[in-house]
Formats: sequence, C-alpha cells, structure tokens
Amino acid sequence: MAKKEVGSVEALNKLKQTDPPLFLTPSTELSQTARKASQYLFSSLKPFCPKVYFQSLYLDGYVAEQIWQQIDLQCKPLVKKLKGEVIEFEKNPDEVLRLFGVEKKKGRGVEIEDGDEDIEDVGSDENEEEGEDEEDEEEEEGEDEEEEEGGGEGGVEDRFLKLNELEQYMEEDEAREYGGEVVKSKVSKKKKNVHEEEEEEEEDEEDEDDEDEDDELGDFGDDGEDGDDKLGNARYEDFFGGKKKKSVKRQSNIHNKPEDEEQEDDKGDHKQTKESLSTHEKELQKLHSKIEQMEKANLDPKAWTMQGEVTATKRPKNSALEVDLDFEHNVRPLPVITEEVTASLEDLIKERILEGRFDDAERAASLPSKRLKELKEMDENKSKKGLAEIYEEEYVHQTGLGTAPLSSSDQLKKEAQLLFDKLCLKLDGLSHSHFRPKPVIEDMSIQTNVPALAMEEIAPVAVSDVAMLAPEEVFAGKGDIKEEAELTQEERKRRRANKKRKYKVEASKRLVNKVQGNRLPDNSNGTKA
Amino acid sequence: MESNQAAASSMEIERVSTEPKSVSIFHATKPKFEPLKAHEISEGRVQFRKVAVPPHRYTPLKKAWMEIYTPVYEQMKIDIRMNLKARKVELKTRSDTPDISNLQKCADFVHAFMLGFDIVDAVALLRMDELYVDSFEIKDVKTLRGEHLSRAIGRLSGKGGKTKFAIENATKTRIVIADTKIHVLGLFTNIKVARDSLCSLILGSPAGKVYSKLRAVSARLGERF
Repeated sequence: MAKKEVGSVEALNKLKQTDPPLFLTPSTELSQTARKASQYLFSSLKPFCPKVYFQSLYLDGYVAEQIWQQIDLQCKPLVKKLKGEVIEFEKNPDEVLRLFGVEKKKGRGVEIEDGDEDIEDVGSDENEEEGEDEEDEEEEEGEDEEEEEGGGEGGVEDRFLKLNELEQYMEEDEAREYGGEVVKSKVSKKKKNVHEEEEEEEEDEEDEDDEDEDDELGDFGDDGEDGDDKLGNARYEDFFGGKKKKSVKRQSNIHNKPEDEEQEDDKGDHKQTKESLSTHEKELQKLHSKIEQMEKANLDPKAWTMQGEVTATKRPKNSALEVDLDFEHNVRPLPVITEEVTASLEDLIKERILEGRFDDAERAASLPSKRLKELKEMDENKSKKGLAEIYEEEYVHQTGLGTAPLSSSDQLKKEAQLLFDKLCLKLDGLSHSHFRPKPVIEDMSIQTNVPALAMEEIAPVAVSDVAMLAPEEVFAGKGDIKEEAELTQEERKRRRANKKRKYKVEASKRLVNKVQGNRLPDNSNGTKA
Repeated sequence: MESNQAAASSMEIERVSTEPKSVSIFHATKPKFEPLKAHEISEGRVQFRKVAVPPHRYTPLKKAWMEIYTPVYEQMKIDIRMNLKARKVELKTRSDTPDISNLQKCADFVHAFMLGFDIVDAVALLRMDELYVDSFEIKDVKTLRGEHLSRAIGRLSGKGGKTKFAIENATKTRIVIADTKIHVLGLFTNIKVARDSLCSLILGSPAGKVYSKLRAVSARLGERF
C-alpha cells in the first residue's frame, strides 16, 4: 500500500510537471499516469464517502467515460455531505473550534491534500478537475468561514479589530491600576488562544494566498520585520505577525503611558463599551442622538412632498406613485352597479307598475286669466244699417235708453238654441214616459186650420175634429152672410156698386202714388249697389 | 236825495237788489248776451254755400233730391236749391236758422254726397258733430303705374267689395274708392285706422294680414265706448 501510494504520488507529481500543451496530444504514458493518480485519489477519498459503491477505481478495460462515471458516483454524495457540514458550521461556529482543537492533524492532512489537489488543478483531466475543484473550494470555504465566525461578533470585528483583544487591554489597564496579577493570567490564557487562532489563520491565509505559488510558510519573526519595511504590502502578519513582540510592545506601552492617556483611553473605552454605561447616560445618549437627527433633518433640504408646489422635474422618477396623494374630486364617484342595486331598482319598478304611479309630467292647466274676449267676426257684407243708425244705436246703448242691439254672435246663439230645443223635443217624444208639451215660441207664424191634437202629439192615439182656429179667426165679418146663390138681384147690384166704389178709391190713390213715384220709382238712392 | 239814497243803501243792505245796475259800478253782474242768429252775423246779411256737382253725380242727385232736401230744409232750416245752369247746389241761411254751424253741416252733407257716399251714411254728418271726411290718393302712398295700379285698386276693394266692407264694418266708417281717389267718412280715430289698413293694402300686404290687425284694433276701439 505504501508503495502504491508512493507510485501514485509520483504519478501526481509527474502530471504536475508536464506542460499543459502536452495534454492536448494523446499519449498513452500520460493517460497511464493520470489513471494511476486518479485511482490513488479515489481510494484516499473513500473513507469520507457516505455511500461506497466501488472499493477502488476500476481502470482495466474501461473507457475514460466509464472511469469518469465512477468518480462522479463517488463525488456527488460526498459533495452533498460536505455542503451539509458547511451549513452546520455556519449555524454553530463553536463546533468549528472544537473540530480544530480535536482534529488538528486532520486539518493539516487536509491541507496537504489541498496542496496536491491544487497541483492537479493545473492538469488536463477536466472531468476530475471539476469534481475535485468543487471539493477543494468548499473545503477551503468551510475553513475560512469557520475561522471568520469564530473570530467576529457582528460587523465590528474583522481580522484586525478584535473585541476580545480590546477587553483584554482594558482589563490589563484596570489590573495595572488596581490589581495586576489576576489579569495577567487571563491575558496569558487569552494570548495563547489568540495565538493559536492566529496561527491557524495565518496558515490558512497562506494557503489561500499561495494557491498558485509554492507553499511559503513565512517566519513569524521575519514577517514582522518585513512588514515594517514594506509599507505598501500591509498584511495581517505585519500587524499581528510579531505576536510576542506586539504583546510585549503592548505591555511596555501600558507601562510607559502616563495616567492621562489611560484616563482618556478609559473614557474612550467607556464610551465605546456598552456594558459600563449607566441608564441615565444611556438615556442622555439616546436624546443626543435624537437631537442630532432632528437638527440634521431641519438643516437638510426638505423632502419633495413637503416642498409645496413640485413639478415632475423636481422630484424623482415615479415618486408620485409611491406617495398617497389626496385629490379633490369635483365629480361624484360613479355608482357601482351591483346585483343588489339592480335588484332594488327592479323592485321599485315593479311596485310602481302595480300602483300605477308613474311620475308622468302633467300638463299644467292653463288658468283662465281673463275673460275670453269675443272674437269679432269679420263681416264681409255690406252693412245693412247706415252709419247714422250705427252711431244712433251706440249712443242709445251708452246712455242706457234702449236695449243693446243683438250682435251677430247672439243671433247665432239664438238660432242654435232653437234648433237644439226642437231636437230635444223630438228625442223626448221617443221615450213617451212623460208628457212634455211643446215649448212656446213667441213667433209670428201662420196658423193653419189643422186639428189641434195633431199639433200636440206626435203619435196621436185618435184624431179629433177640433179645429185649431176659432170661428172668428176663420172668418171675421158682421151681418147676414149669404152665399152667391142666395142673393137677390138687388143685393147683387148693391154688392157690385160697393165694389166699384172701392175700386175707384183705390185707383185714384194709385194714380197719386204713381205721380209721386215718377220722382222716386223705388227707395234706392240711385247708386248701383 | 242823498239822505234818501243813503237811507236806501243802508236800509237795503239786507235786501238783495234784483235790478241790474249801471256799468259804472264794478261789482255788477256779468252781462248776458244771447247768441247771434245766423242772419245777424255779418250785420244781418245772408250766408251762402255753393257745392259743385260733378257730372257723374248729376243723375244720382236728381234721383235722391227729396232725401237731401227734406232733412236740410226741415231739420237744419237751411234753404237749399239746385242751380242747374251752374251745376251747383246752393245753400242759404234763413231767418230762423238756429245755429250758424247748420249751414256748414249741410254743406258738408251735400259735399259728402257729391264724393259718392250714400244718403243714409251722409246723413250721419248732419246728426253728429265729430264726423269728418278724409280723402287721399293712391299716388300719395305709393307711386304705381299701369297694371300695378289696377291690382292695387283690386286689392283695396277685394272680391265683390268684401275687403272694403270688412274694413268699414270693423272701423265703423264708410269708404268710397273712386278710381285713384279714396274717401273715408267717420270719426277721427276710426278714419285713422281705416286709412292705415288701406295704406297697408296699397303697399302690398295681403288681406289676411290686414284683417288680423283690424281685429286687434277694432277690439280696442270698441272697448273705449
């Protein structure tokens, strides 16, 4: 096994020594060495693997592809496991310390492997490189994280500033003032721990730095001197490299410093350390910080929202979207039409339809503001009355001596009334339930000698002989009335003589009229109408 | 005498003196003068009026002579005669003519007849004081020639004279359209209304428009009485 190991290591070294371009050309010798090296690595990684598929890397008669798959099978679960371990270390940094304290050698062994693996990184076997690179990087990162977490609490601490160191320094001061011995032991202990941690850090840092270069384990003492000379290349070891010297320097400084500086340092340390502040001082501190904040805010230019009228150019882009702006809306927000709203409206409509109460616009009844004037009808006929008569009538009406003359409209009304009465009489006659006599119309009409009943009833039950006219109305005369046949000769002669006499009188009258009528044949005025 | 006068004056203070006193005393009663009779005017000379008769009114005058003569002689007490040679109607006051204005009224009455008005319409002049006769020509309103003139005359009278009668009836006037001359008889305000409507007709407005205006105006005229 040791021989094998040596052969494998030799193979690795050989690979490392070959020039990169040589890998491009296929050569059986190189492949053989590469296979040997990979086999060795495989076997060395086997104890760390959670699942072991192959006891060793089988090379005989296998193609590169198959060899790569074997390596992959081994690497993948291993990588997962390592990832999990890294996450655990992230959560619990104390475990890292424990790990380091217990498994120091392992860490160193790991370092050596890292170194070998680094060499292999240069090699041409790409398949192996990827898997191994991942392993390397993760291991390194894991270590770095462990170290960093172990060292820093919060963001204040880093490689150069250690709160533990500060505490230690403060305690040294106090010890110097009040009681020295107790502190020193603590200091020494802490120094040791610090020293150990720093050593580990140094080594890892060196490893990181020397990825490409050869391992350079700088001397502690030399580093300190180098740091003083090289101002540009300030390194960790420059500050903390001369561990013993620095601590000695510190202590000498402590002794040399006068009390004033101590006090100032104390104050500074007081202020900076949170634990030793009283509640009042804490409140004061808060108040001061608040005051400073407010004063700063007052002095600074106001935010754009507080500036009054701000145009788009004066505020950052899209800043109005982020701010809650209050607008005055002159328009009522539109009603959201939901099912409830429509349902309520429909119910209202149904109710109204059932009631029959539609709010229809009603025409306002025009009130008769004033008495309707009787429109005078335009009489287009020649007026029958003369002008004088018209004025006469008017005068009479005005003075009130006579009755007002009937206007044409009144006459028409009378005519209409007459006609209507006649019609009503006829209609009443149809019913016959109540006897209604004819309305008395004072009229100049000719009375005919007709049986009276006929005039009164429309549907006469019987016809009577009673004549309408009275006997004297029929004939009004005096003396003996004889017919033509009854007359004697003398009476006939007498009648004829009377007749002649009357005729003569009339004839003479007519003649007189005729004479007068020559001048006025008719009553017209002589003008053609 | 003086004592008597003084006594009389002092004693008769309470009694009201009825006899009219001489003009020399200032607070005398106002003198009463009876109105002069017609023939007393111009120192007792008689008043005349002569109205010319146009040839186209000669025959109508002959026919309506009695109707003219009767009211003039009987009621107005004015002497009237027809001068055939001169073709004039002459009017003269009588001794018993009550009022001088009668003569003028009779002269106006006769003149109205000569213009073409009917006797019954002209008699109104005798009976009423406020009636007048207004005459104007178509050319006064608008210069129209030939056919336009004939059409204007036709528009004025209307079909069968209905427009003229409508105006007459609405305004209580009498209108005579003698070729291009128009005469209107009636009250002063009525004459104005009738004249306005006639003028609008001459100027060309349709009869309907004139009617509507007439209706409005005549209603107002009627309301006044």
